[in-house]
Amino acid sequence: MTDDGQSVPILSQELLLGVAEELKLPLLQIARQSELALLHGTADINTIRATARTALQLLDNYVLGVRLALEPQQFPLESISVSSVLYDSAQQLDVFAKSYGVHLELNVAGRYGPVIANRRGLQAALVSIGAALIEALPAQEGSRQLSMQLATHRSRYGVIAGAYTETKALTKETLQRGRRLQGTSRQPLLNVSQTSGAGIFVADAILHAMDLKLMASRHHRLHGLATVLQPNHQLQIV
Amino acid sequence: MKRILLIEPDWILAKTYKQALELGGDVAVTLANTAQAAIGSADNDKPDLVILEIQLIEHSGIEFLYEFRSYPEWQSIPVIVHTIVPFNEFQDNWHLLRDELGVCNYLYKPHTSLRELISFTNTQKSLSRA
Repeated sequence: MTDDGQSVPILSQELLLGVAEELKLPLLQIARQSELALLHGTADINTIRATARTALQLLDNYVLGVRLALEPQQFPLESISVSSVLYDSAQQLDVFAKSYGVHLELNVAGRYGPVIANRRGLQAALVSIGAALIEALPAQEGSRQLSMQLATHRSRYGVIAGAYTETKALTKETLQRGRRLQGTSRQPLLNVSQTSGAGIFVADAILHAMDLKLMASRHHRLHGLATVLQPNHQLQIV
Repeated sequence: MKRILLIEPDWILAKTYKQALELGGDVAVTLANTAQAAIGSADNDKPDLVILEIQLIEHSGIEFLYEFRSYPEWQSIPVIVHTIVPFNEFQDNWHLLRDELGVCNYLYKPHTSLRELISFTNTQKSLSRA
């Protein structure tokens, strides 16, 4: 709870439960792949490594979200380049995307100028969303070409940055229903993810801690989850 | 060679299970990642055994079972539920799954090793042949 009595999403038991459920999958993948290696001497070490790394990233991002909520003064808003954050997020997700057969693209064409956010927080949120979408992509009906785009574009509300796929199920209603069902349903994002979708809710909570919002968004023909960032007009004038 | 239809939404697990089952016995495994894809695969490949994860995207494994069992030619095909959902969450519906939807076994994924899965699968295949 905050001083004014409001609950903080990242500190909720529902989110912690979701993270615990989510971590079962990578642990199971690692256990079974290791067992396969013992039984038959075949192991995809790169996939095991990418799985472990992404699971650790989810934990790191969750911890970062908790710290952002508890010690916001340690994570000041700063003037950052959204293209550079997207580039670094893509680098972090690249091997994981390959292990799921997902083609990862970066679309940062155009000049966006500096925006205001905490860099670590924003990158953690984008990586969390990206990993959750990558993991779910192969299991979605109609996902013919498995690809995800980390992209940014300008709107009248600000600079929008997010992760986009061909999944039409990524809608405002899906996200709202997911937030309501989080903690009470095994699959709060039923049409999007076969797991607890914890990565998406961790991102939601991190963005909330930075006074930003996670929202459903469109980018050309793609559907995704994104946040609106405010340009730093002061620096643009300079 | 017996045919197994493995309905598994996670790509990495699906590949791992397929490889283990094919190396562990004289079987050919077809993968399906959604209930809808599984119905299509069953139609094409006429499986001898189905291994089913209940937690799927959009249509659940239970919905798949209702659809699958509605076709007379698929009513006697054994189905093993192999899932990440713990049994206590099924308990109330277990009779429905076993008696009406023909589920012959429940395996909790985190507690079922590849060796155990292969062994259950081989037992089930020999039962279905009898």
